Amino acid sequence: MTAVGDQDVRRPALPGGIGDSVTRREDLRLLEGNSSYLGDLRFADLAEAVFVRSEHAHARIRTISTAAARRHPGVLAVVTGPELAEWVSPLRIAPKIEGLQPMSMPPLATGRVRFHGDPVAIVVATDRYVAEDAAELVEVTYDPLPAAMDIRESLAGTAPLVDDSLPSNVLCDQRYVNGNPAAVIESAAQVIRVSFAQHRQTHGPLEPRGCVAVWDRSGQHLTCHTGTQVPAPYRTSMAARLGLPEHQVSVVCPDVGGSFGQKLVAYREDVAVAAVARQLGRPVRWREDRRENLLSALHAREDEVDLEVAFTAEGVVQAVRARLRSDFGAYAYFPGNYMLQVVGMMIPGPYRFQDFEYDLKVVLSNKTPAGPYRAPMAMCTWVTEGMMDAVAHALGKDPVEVRTLNLLSENELPYRSAAGQVYEHITPTTTFHRAVEAFGYEQARVEQAKARAEGRLVGIGVASVVEPTTYGSAFYKLAGIPGSGHEAALVRIAPSGAVSVSTGLMSTGQGYETMLSQVVSEGLGVPADTVHVLLGDTDVPPYGMGSRGSRGATAGGGVALLAARDLRDKVLRIAAHRIGTDAGLLTVSGGAIHRLGPDGSEPAGLTVADVAAIAYLDPTLLPPGVEPGLEILRAYDPPPMTFSNSVHLCRVEITPDRGAVRIGRYVIAEDAGRLINPLMVEGQLHGAVALGLAGALQEQVVYSPEGRNLTDSFRDYPLLALDEMVDELELVHCDTPNRRTPGGMKGMSEGGVMGGIAALTLAVQDALGTPVDQLPLTGERICELLDGRA
Amino acid sequence: MTHAEGTHASSPDERELAFTANGAAVRVSTPVRKLLSDLLRDDLGLAALQLGCEDGVCGACTVLLDGEPVRACTMLAVQAEGREVATLEGLAGDPFLRDAKRAFSESHALHCGFCTSGILTTLVACDRAGCRSSEEALSELSGNLCRCTGYLNIRRAVRSLWTDDEEHPGTGGPRDTGESR
Repeated sequence: MTAVGDQDVRRPALPGGIGDSVTRREDLRLLEGNSSYLGDLRFADLAEAVFVRSEHAHARIRTISTAAARRHPGVLAVVTGPELAEWVSPLRIAPKIEGLQPMSMPPLATGRVRFHGDPVAIVVATDRYVAEDAAELVEVTYDPLPAAMDIRESLAGTAPLVDDSLPSNVLCDQRYVNGNPAAVIESAAQVIRVSFAQHRQTHGPLEPRGCVAVWDRSGQHLTCHTGTQVPAPYRTSMAARLGLPEHQVSVVCPDVGGSFGQKLVAYREDVAVAAVARQLGRPVRWREDRRENLLSALHAREDEVDLEVAFTAEGVVQAVRARLRSDFGAYAYFPGNYMLQVVGMMIPGPYRFQDFEYDLKVVLSNKTPAGPYRAPMAMCTWVTEGMMDAVAHALGKDPVEVRTLNLLSENELPYRSAAGQVYEHITPTTTFHRAVEAFGYEQARVEQAKARAEGRLVGIGVASVVEPTTYGSAFYKLAGIPGSGHEAALVRIAPSGAVSVSTGLMSTGQGYETMLSQVVSEGLGVPADTVHVLLGDTDVPPYGMGSRGSRGATAGGGVALLAARDLRDKVLRIAAHRIGTDAGLLTVSGGAIHRLGPDGSEPAGLTVADVAAIAYLDPTLLPPGVEPGLEILRAYDPPPMTFSNSVHLCRVEITPDRGAVRIGRYVIAEDAGRLINPLMVEGQLHGAVALGLAGALQEQVVYSPEGRNLTDSFRDYPLLALDEMVDELELVHCDTPNRRTPGGMKGMSEGGVMGGIAALTLAVQDALGTPVDQLPLTGERICELLDGRA
Repeated sequence: MTHAEGTHASSPDERELAFTANGAAVRVSTPVRKLLSDLLRDDLGLAALQLGCEDGVCGACTVLLDGEPVRACTMLAVQAEGREVATLEGLAGDPFLRDAKRAFSESHALHCGFCTSGILTTLVACDRAGCRSSEEALSELSGNLCRCTGYLNIRRAVRSLWTDDEEHPGTGGPRDTGESR
């Protein structure tokens, strides 16, 4: 077993190794326009699929007439929900989690449609234009039903029932208690209530969803080409849904144009396309358009949290009682508690209080199904930090002073948080002080007071983030969610000396090809540019859990490092035997074997390629007990949870007439562990903050009271544009290694969303001088808040 | 590339179309309703442009039409009749584009890359239009959406391509804006 957690984060990087900001190997093909996104793949006899979708939020399907569509020239197949149900089994989500109702989702709507965009039929034709024409010829008659659109009505039992196999719209009802919050709140000096409501959003990857399913009749084999974060689990899911043994299914991922959690499941559309491709015996492609993506791909984040907070006269938080509510949409792709439980789990943040409880209710509605979206728990930071601001406000104290009173210091770690999470290898106090100092907090408050005296609306927001990054199997077990947190890697040296690495991760823009080449370079001792990286084809890598959360660096990078080190050890054993020395006196560097000496190392006259030639082509020269070949397969199950931490501070000014928010300085101090590629880490941070700011400011899925999705284009669902992004993010690196993980990695890329939402919202609240309990902070909303204040 | 010269329109909804794509004469018979983006990608194999919204908002499908950046997804192919279309593939020899690609990689100004072709094409248009400062170019780029990068590294890359300080031309980036093309 190779030692883990033994790396010093400040050790200078070897060229191309861990810690080096190399430019990405992915860039060349993407910059040249030689990418291979789904739409770029070419297939002979490719047929195109489009879906007929419900324009109602909730309705009984009276009739579906497909005759005219079937007769349309060029149409190959028209399949409705009941027909597809013969070939495809429903997705059943029924883990044994206390308080969770089991749910099933048919591949296409049968009997009833449950949300605007619910697919009712698939039309396949020789050409996409023809398929769209034919889809318009499918006549569906509906009996519209009232729609469940409001969390409160569903909780009160007055909303229409979304799933008639369930007793109510409450999909999940859980409680968590630590200590005795009720008693503490009862006897506390002060108790306040604070509310937070986050609006529904969606991921908006620039490349929409899609797939190409190819059924090989003679080989009885299905190949699904699709951009997914999780190739191996996707394959398992697809095979099960189609009733195929898994060996008859392969999944191949092309380049993926972003995902952010949206391309995490085998969608109903994917399953329908595969089933029809199998029936037709020819390749079928589905490329959704933006409207379909906004209507029917996963939505997210429609969460509400209400807190009761007990605290001392000094501002020490003693107990927190939270009520968590979430709108899950019409069907379950995930267990109902999958996202909201992590909000509850992270409400303690970096703070010391122990008496804590939450009750969590997730309700169904006649809206698009919800799923995890980059930092599914993102709201927790706004909640925790908003609580600290509310305490400070109630006591007339400075927000930084109140936080300092409650903040965990490094010498209190490991610390079991009020929600049962064990924090270790994080630096909440150091990071906080460095952020406050870099921001020039005291001076900023002086300037703010001056600006306010001039009548300007200037505010400062502070947010400490504890970011759960890598979820180990123990976490899933504890949460009752089936599955594993492990990742696996295969590192190989071919007889020629060519090195390759493969893991279950799949990149949707993160640059994992570059990252893994750096890790293997370091672990094996070969130049990074000689490492071939193979991802996304389920016939190649070992079974891994893919890319989700922020597990890429710790789980994926970690296991690749372990495998590379083991392979290096084998190379050295063979080399030592060949040279007639001890393996401990040798090392691998730059693809060659070196002797370690008192004054550094010197070439031993043997390369990795020479060793590979022995291992494969001349195995009689191997030391006793060493098998031929140079291939190492490793699996790695990370700790139950790894954490990164950061502190965001920002200053905003609001234009009173339009309610526009201008973000001034924005400082982030972050401890993200040992960085594999600092340039890429900063890029991830930028993207994460931008996503958080966009969500807090402007992106919002809007439904009419009847349940029509009114935001079905990028005109109505405005992504953040270049001129709307903050001028600069000033980053203070506070990175310290995680002592438990291979290489000291922690993972990152969601904390920026968490901190971004919180720091911005609290800065706006500070500028307005009035509580902000509902997002987004559109100009209109800010003007309302200003009016309310006046 | 599909050269359909000599073929006849197969239905009243089809039309003969002649235009220039990346300097080469193209004659095709195309359905009148076909989008320029689909014709370029599917029929001519010019697939660097991407389709992000098919609504003219995101800019991933940006191409040059007679030198002007346009959204290929909101134009009919037949509207290109007699005109000159340039895609990222056809601009490959442009020295500014070569610098831009290097700057984008060095600044890590792309993640998933889906928006990159549209962004680079827009920048080439800026350069060719004699855009004098990076701020001017960046203001043009506010019509190209990127979901991954948060734009900061795109700004960094673009700023390295223009020498904004007029008093010290040629010191702020890899190229001198004074050169003519």
